[in-house]
Amino acid sequence: MTKKAVIGLVAFIFLTGLIFRIAGLGLRPMHHDEANQALKFGALLEKGEYRYDPQEHHGPVLYYLTLPVAWMAGAETTAELTETVLRLVPAVLGAGLILLLLLMAGGLGREAMIFAGAALALSPFMIYFSRFYIQETPFVFFTAAWIASGWRFFKHPSAGWAALAGIAAGAAYAAKETSLIVFGAAFLSIIALYFWEKKTGRKEKSGSWRYPAKASFPGPKKTAVGVAVFLATAAATAWLFFSSFGTNPAGLLDSVRAIGIYAGRGLEGGSHAHPFWFYFKMLAFPGGRGPGLWSEAFILALAVAGAIGAFHHDSSRQGDSVFKRFILFYTLTAALMFSAIPYKTPWNAMPFYLGVILLAGSGAELIWSVSPHRPIKAGLLVLILPGFINLGLQSYRANFKYHASVSNPYVYAQTSNDYLKLVTLIENVTAESPEGRNTLIVVAAPADRTWPLPWSLRKFTRVGYWERFDLVPAEARQAGIIITPPGPWPFEDDASHIDSYFELRPGILLCAYVRNDLWNEYLERRNPGK
Amino acid sequence: MIFKKTLPSAVAAILAMSLLASAPAPTLQQEEKEVLKIELPKPMFVGTPRNIRTPNLEPVTGRMRGQFYVPAGTILLSREKAVISSDLEPVIGELSFVTDGEKSGEDGYFVELGPAVQWVQIDLGESQALQAIVIWHYHGQARVYRDVVVQVSDDKDFITGVTTVFNNDHDNSAGLGAGRDKEYIETNEGKLIDPRGIKARHVRLYSAGNTSNDMNHYVEVEVFGLPGK
Repeated sequence: MTKKAVIGLVAFIFLTGLIFRIAGLGLRPMHHDEANQALKFGALLEKGEYRYDPQEHHGPVLYYLTLPVAWMAGAETTAELTETVLRLVPAVLGAGLILLLLLMAGGLGREAMIFAGAALALSPFMIYFSRFYIQETPFVFFTAAWIASGWRFFKHPSAGWAALAGIAAGAAYAAKETSLIVFGAAFLSIIALYFWEKKTGRKEKSGSWRYPAKASFPGPKKTAVGVAVFLATAAATAWLFFSSFGTNPAGLLDSVRAIGIYAGRGLEGGSHAHPFWFYFKMLAFPGGRGPGLWSEAFILALAVAGAIGAFHHDSSRQGDSVFKRFILFYTLTAALMFSAIPYKTPWNAMPFYLGVILLAGSGAELIWSVSPHRPIKAGLLVLILPGFINLGLQSYRANFKYHASVSNPYVYAQTSNDYLKLVTLIENVTAESPEGRNTLIVVAAPADRTWPLPWSLRKFTRVGYWERFDLVPAEARQAGIIITPPGPWPFEDDASHIDSYFELRPGILLCAYVRNDLWNEYLERRNPGK
Repeated sequence: MIFKKTLPSAVAAILAMSLLASAPAPTLQQEEKEVLKIELPKPMFVGTPRNIRTPNLEPVTGRMRGQFYVPAGTILLSREKAVISSDLEPVIGELSFVTDGEKSGEDGYFVELGPAVQWVQIDLGESQALQAIVIWHYHGQARVYRDVVVQVSDDKDFITGVTTVFNNDHDNSAGLGAGRDKEYIETNEGKLIDPRGIKARHVRLYSAGNTSNDMNHYVEVEVFGLPGK
């Protein structure tokens, strides 16, 4: 394959991945977690201040990366933000992963890189969570960046690559503290790789399964300098972000404290405790209802081929089997570690699924390189291509049709589409009312039934939040709109309000009570003279 | 003086007479009426698992509906009666499910009609005094059906002599007029509507999607009345 062809294919794959990630970003209702992050960012946007909270919200990288996007969109307040502006950051970084593969081309091989890029561009799982305003995609992007830079250092030791790897690693840590799991998995993989290569590498033999290529580790001096540069730049980057660029010097220490907090939460699991095989089942056999096949078994099967191929050295094959073995060790270790932690949410699979995709690229290349003859290659393409097409079809369904439906295996505690009708009702009822955006709105619901209302009601100036309706002061009970979970009629007058129900999440309802005067005005505007 | 002495007695007498006049009324009514017996399906609200792929189901108010009294002799009129619909080809199930007596909230017991405003209509065979209409849209999950409107008429086309007995389409989005009845969450109890003895042969029930999706469902509709009256 010529260099031009490779560049053309990578550009096409990148554009495909980008379109899947940025099209219709406002379509899916804000998830509970996204709304939390959005308001946290809103505070940074409005006040220019950020202070790391070791208890919640993870690291600040997502917020700082969103700032320039919000400025470019002309947003100066939370009220001026939109879902699209916020989600653009993870969406572009998600597509950026495809470009990062270029740095790994020497390790994976050009053709494996193209297959891996196609899998990244089309994977419904990776696309779905690249469209989420949460820390996961920035975290995975910077993880890929430091692995790629680290690989470049391994092949061509220089302070530049070590520094790039360090900056990316620091940013990964400042995106999400759980990056320590990934660092641990990578460290263990390097140790395992070292001993593996030491044992088998002396008898390198092309075409052999038993004695694959020998790794050539950088010398002790270069390694020491590289590690020192890596650690220094990583620490400096992490400190810059966690300290809010020097304004909160204790931020980095707080992030270390947070590790204990998140470790406790992770081991406890709570309402997000899931069995060991949760991620594997979600990706391979999610079951569920709805039309079409939901499964990324195609990528997993190719990854198995890639894993086997990592132990085969053939000088005629592209790439470096040492890199492939590192990716295999890393993927297995990270997958085991994430699966062993009781606390699981679907997006936590992203860091190791990136490794699965790299292996899948290598597996596809292994199959592709079975024969150099064009007719056979054409036949192989016919075998592989439907798998990729099916991934694309799944991505369309997952992101543009069933983005909030329980039939979508990646939907997790997702706000229902019906919730948008509640927001529309509030907007419509208050639109031309005398008080407009100053209409008093009362939300009387426990925390798990409140979000994403604070995001959706960000343009209203008088919104009060209580845990239960009986805690709402008497004067606030006269609010124009009251939102509560379903229950007995809360007002003395049986006909004082109009009630409407909306689904917050599947099976979880919210009831909106609109005061009669507001409702009648709205009805008059809607159906004049009737 | 006589007036002063007799006034309290007169007031007491008037009060006593009014109490006597009003007290026998419910007694008489109760003598003529009986509790409507509705066979309820098994409740489907079983716990609140956190896994979102098993819907989080919730109790609604925690209280059962009180007893509903109907004139003695009231019977179920709608069982196995003919059903027609605005959706000529239901997405799932058969229109006959609406009156087949099966009220389970599980899959396989409901008919699914397309999105937007849809109706089903039951032909009772002859005009009769209707005493109760009970509707089960779908009670396998906590959800609310929108724009529920129930009309009765002797005209099968619902052009003349149409009476609306229930309407919670608050904003008139279904175009049948704005209603003030309250929305409600589906449960295994069904929604009981009181048609107040109005005589009609046809019962038409509208809805326009629900909080969970845009489709319209019916597990069962039961119409109770006095036959031949």
